[in-house]
Amino acid sequence: MSKEIDKAKIKAAVKRRKRETYKPVVPATQLGFIHHNVDCIGCRACEIACKDKNGLAPGPRFRRVSYIEGGVYPDVYAYKVNMSCNHCAQPACLPTCPTGAIFKRASDGIVDIDSTLCIGCRRCEAACPYGAPQFDPGDNLIKKCNMCVDEIDAGRKPYCVMACMMRVLDIGPIDEISDGSFQTTAIGPGDMPVKQVKNMADPELTKPSIRFIAHSKGGVQSKQ
Amino acid sequence: MSDDNDFNKLIASSLNMGRRTFLKSSAAGAAALTAGGGLLKTDKAEAQTYEPYPTDNQMETVVTSCAHNCGSRHMLVAHKKNDVIVRLSSDDGRYQRDGCYGKDTDEEPQLRACLRGRAYRERIYCPERLLYPMLRVGKRGEGKFKRVSWDEALDFVAKKLIDIKEKYGSQAILDQSYAGSSYGVLHKSDQIDGLQGRFLGMFACRTSSWSVPSYQATTTSSKWTFGTIEDGNEDDTFAHSKLMIMWGWNPAYTFHGGNTVYYMRKAKQNGCKFVVIDPLYTDTAATYDAWWIPIKPNTDAAMLAGMAHYIFDNNLQDQAFIDKFVQGMDAGTMPDWATDSPNGKENFKDYILGKNDGQPKTPEWAEKICGVKAADIKKLADMYATTKPAALKACWGPGRTDYGEQYNRMAAALQAMTGNIGMLGGSAEGVGKAWHAEGAAYPYDQYSNIWFSSIKSDRWAYIVNNYPNVAREEAGLWPRQDNLDGVVPNIRGIFWQGSNWLNQLTNINAEMDAIQKLDLVVCLDQTITTSGLFADVLLPICTHFERHDVALPWYKGHYYIHRPKVIEPLGESKTDFQVFTELAYRVGNMTGMGDKFGEVYNTKATRDYWNNPDPVDEDYLRTWWEDRVMQHQHVEMPWVEFKKHGVYKMKLDRPHVGFQDQIEKGIPFQTPSGKIEILCDELARISDWKKTKYGYHIPSIPKWIEPFESLNHPTKTKKHPYHLITPHPRHRTHSIFNNSAILRETYDQEITINTSDAKKLGITTGDKVEVWNDRGRLVVPAYVTQRCMPGVVSIPEGAWIDLDKNGIDRAGNPNMLTADTPSPAGSFAYNTILVNLRKTDLQHRAGWDETSVSRSHVFGRDI
Ligand code: SF4
Ligand code: SF4
Ligand code: SF4
Repeated sequence: MSKEIDKAKIKAAVKRRKRETYKPVVPATQLGFIHHNVDCIGCRACEIACKDKNGLAPGPRFRRVSYIEGGVYPDVYAYKVNMSCNHCAQPACLPTCPTGAIFKRASDGIVDIDSTLCIGCRRCEAACPYGAPQFDPGDNLIKKCNMCVDEIDAGRKPYCVMACMMRVLDIGPIDEISDGSFQTTAIGPGDMPVKQVKNMADPELTKPSIRFIAHSKGGVQSKQ
Repeated sequence: MSDDNDFNKLIASSLNMGRRTFLKSSAAGAAALTAGGGLLKTDKAEAQTYEPYPTDNQMETVVTSCAHNCGSRHMLVAHKKNDVIVRLSSDDGRYQRDGCYGKDTDEEPQLRACLRGRAYRERIYCPERLLYPMLRVGKRGEGKFKRVSWDEALDFVAKKLIDIKEKYGSQAILDQSYAGSSYGVLHKSDQIDGLQGRFLGMFACRTSSWSVPSYQATTTSSKWTFGTIEDGNEDDTFAHSKLMIMWGWNPAYTFHGGNTVYYMRKAKQNGCKFVVIDPLYTDTAATYDAWWIPIKPNTDAAMLAGMAHYIFDNNLQDQAFIDKFVQGMDAGTMPDWATDSPNGKENFKDYILGKNDGQPKTPEWAEKICGVKAADIKKLADMYATTKPAALKACWGPGRTDYGEQYNRMAAALQAMTGNIGMLGGSAEGVGKAWHAEGAAYPYDQYSNIWFSSIKSDRWAYIVNNYPNVAREEAGLWPRQDNLDGVVPNIRGIFWQGSNWLNQLTNINAEMDAIQKLDLVVCLDQTITTSGLFADVLLPICTHFERHDVALPWYKGHYYIHRPKVIEPLGESKTDFQVFTELAYRVGNMTGMGDKFGEVYNTKATRDYWNNPDPVDEDYLRTWWEDRVMQHQHVEMPWVEFKKHGVYKMKLDRPHVGFQDQIEKGIPFQTPSGKIEILCDELARISDWKKTKYGYHIPSIPKWIEPFESLNHPTKTKKHPYHLITPHPRHRTHSIFNNSAILRETYDQEITINTSDAKKLGITTGDKVEVWNDRGRLVVPAYVTQRCMPGVVSIPEGAWIDLDKNGIDRAGNPNMLTADTPSPAGSFAYNTILVNLRKTDLQHRAGWDETSVSRSHVFGRDI
């Protein structure tokens, strides 16, 4: 379905956007994801739950379970890194948007796109170091994970989290996830959450709200 | 947000934020808001789900389940607006008795659906859905049909049936019902005794198919050894194992047994060690950080024999257990009659030590066959014999081979000699079926499984192609006590109910020849399938979202899930039960039986069932719940309340462990001897093998027997040097869901090749590869990896064939290459295939729609 564009509304939004200098929203509580790279079986139930939740056709894939493997036969290893949008503390996508369609919620730090303002220019897609915003040619819109805001507002957790067959994907206040005070099945006994895993863009770029339990071969030295 | 406070409370509870943190963060929030005057104002942009989708709270919520033949049965929750399912979610703890959002205990875990179940809307609303009855107008397989009325379609089938039975007798129709719309307690498609079997049996024209594609090796083995297929544990018991040997088992792909993967994480956290024996380093191996032992396919029995030798040699067996519970393990446990029996003179220990054949089955001997170093075989044997409790889970895949039953029997021998049976944390699994559900709400009586011949399922095409020159042992005929015993059926017609067997049985080219020779091909299904393309009549069946039923766990788990009619049947689709009931009335009235046939077929219904099935279905289900579940299983929840909840989770008195009572209370096993029969009574007493359903000799103790082909074959490997295995894919349930583009986006139909083999052949990931042997050819993309044993390649089963004009399958269904030569016990030889391969310019066609390209390697497989 391609949407009706309200040109006047977009013009007004662009004007407003130009007037404002972007300073990142500091939310009351920043929610973020935690994923266990080893105990994840890589089943992609989370991915499909997300696709179905958001009614996505083939193409855009908000949640992406990457398969990483290495070693030489027969000494091999494999693990998964699961990422959607990281609802960054300093979102790279947000300031690039010419219409101000991208916003960060003050209550929980969720970064979302107002699809009535998105003109499909795809600037945010290029800006995000994690591949989160994706173009849906059917609707001529950029879409991305919005942490299932409707579910959050209803007092429930996102679809992907509730889909996880292993209970190794979760959301919570990112500070508490980091300091280990957050109760979650995603973190096993003795596991230490880290900010970055191998092959992942430097978290200093955007301060992504995501933590991982890394594989022994998938960690990044000195970047706790 | 209507009420900020309420929202904060809700989110606080669902995120486990303690009250203190919650207060703290709300205060901080208030501060940030007042200080945030210069920030982008959030009220100018709105949070929303993508239009036009409503949120869950704006819709009606209906609990139901998934429905396929995967090894589990998870909850699905439909969120619907009017008569359209907008979204699916799964168990979140709310629906059960005393449930609440987020409840997820070890005793009553959530039943979270896998990716296939979550994609179910793609199947309900797919372009391949059959919505109207159709009659074929082109050649079989051409896919040309015209829409007809139900009247015309059913009369056509009824007349043809009567005609064929008159001309060819009671064996002429082959029943190939399978599990495509299976495992409801009421609307049951089943190979043995489902609704189609009942109809054809009562009509007195039915050849049934007795061997089960998935696991015939292990069912036969478990029946011989333990006297039952209920040899399994509930999956929560795995959390108690100290050692878990996963033989050819990849539950991270199959999701076998609802929460198995989840409980094994608990085992891992409790310090359990995992071992995976598999030609592939599977995601299961990765997740549980397992010791991976790559093994040549179809040689598992040899490795197990090598382990047995080490255990005997070092006297590590649990002799007390053997003496008390086992028959035929060694000289001391041999029954008196054995020496005079035609086939039961040897005991297992003598065989392993090579007393009679002069060949001790040492780890070194095994190494030469299975490719696993003798040192590793010894190490594993030692671990297994000295760790308790240890679970050897002998999964089904290695049994889907030539002489697959010997692998399962050998594994059972090891389970018994180490005494790991009937113990929490141990395992006697083979089949793995655990908790016993009340399974039949449909009429289940003397008419439920009538047949006039019963064949090994994968022999049907051979029988049709070679009739009448077919010997009874080639057909694998089940013996009868009347004059039809040994009579090979003249198959003239075929009935598919929820069955895509043309695609799913072995040697598709032979099947395609056979299908052209038949007089009638009838297909009842929810979508068109590759089999459907070869049908004369397509009868549209509604999905389980469009009819009333109750779901059972598949083979593990202890719960029932209500499946109400979530939406009205799409198009003119009907339930199987409606179709067979109406056919019974029609056939009855054409053959002078009047309404009798219909009335006895569907005992609670009148002919009006065709128009108004709901009250009758409700009656069947309520009666089943009250008479079976409430009476037999001491369930107190009334039917009406069960319907309101949508799910009933049993609480068991103790963890369910297979054979615990036999071991702890001395109750006899269900075998003739009452013992664990390593020497099998039944087999030991057979002298005329041709008259048995097996057809050919089977040793009465487990033995290593060379398969008809493997990497050890001295000549066949020259022409076809690679061994192909065909495991279950993750993104399909067999062939179901192959038409879902969003699932095909997650995984390719690909061939897995070891890096060194690929280098020799000049193949890199993503290249198209042609794979062939003397039985057929196909084209698939390559996935090149270190995770695969050299010499072995793997293509998942279940892709919908898509032939080019030269008969090459561009979709890459490995059954183009498999052989229709079952083992004596009836196991399919799906994993006994030699092939050759080369890079090709031929195109691969992932799906009939051609709209989707898998992005699985885009998202980082070979990083
Ligand atoms: S992950 Fe990308 S899209 Fe998401 S907030 Fe960060 S920069 Fe924006
Ligand atoms: S939070 Fe929602 S939108 Fe984001 S990845 Fe998960 S399911 Fe998709
Ligand atoms: S559902 Fe859970 S286990 Fe499966 S891929 Fe997603 S995060 Fe991993």
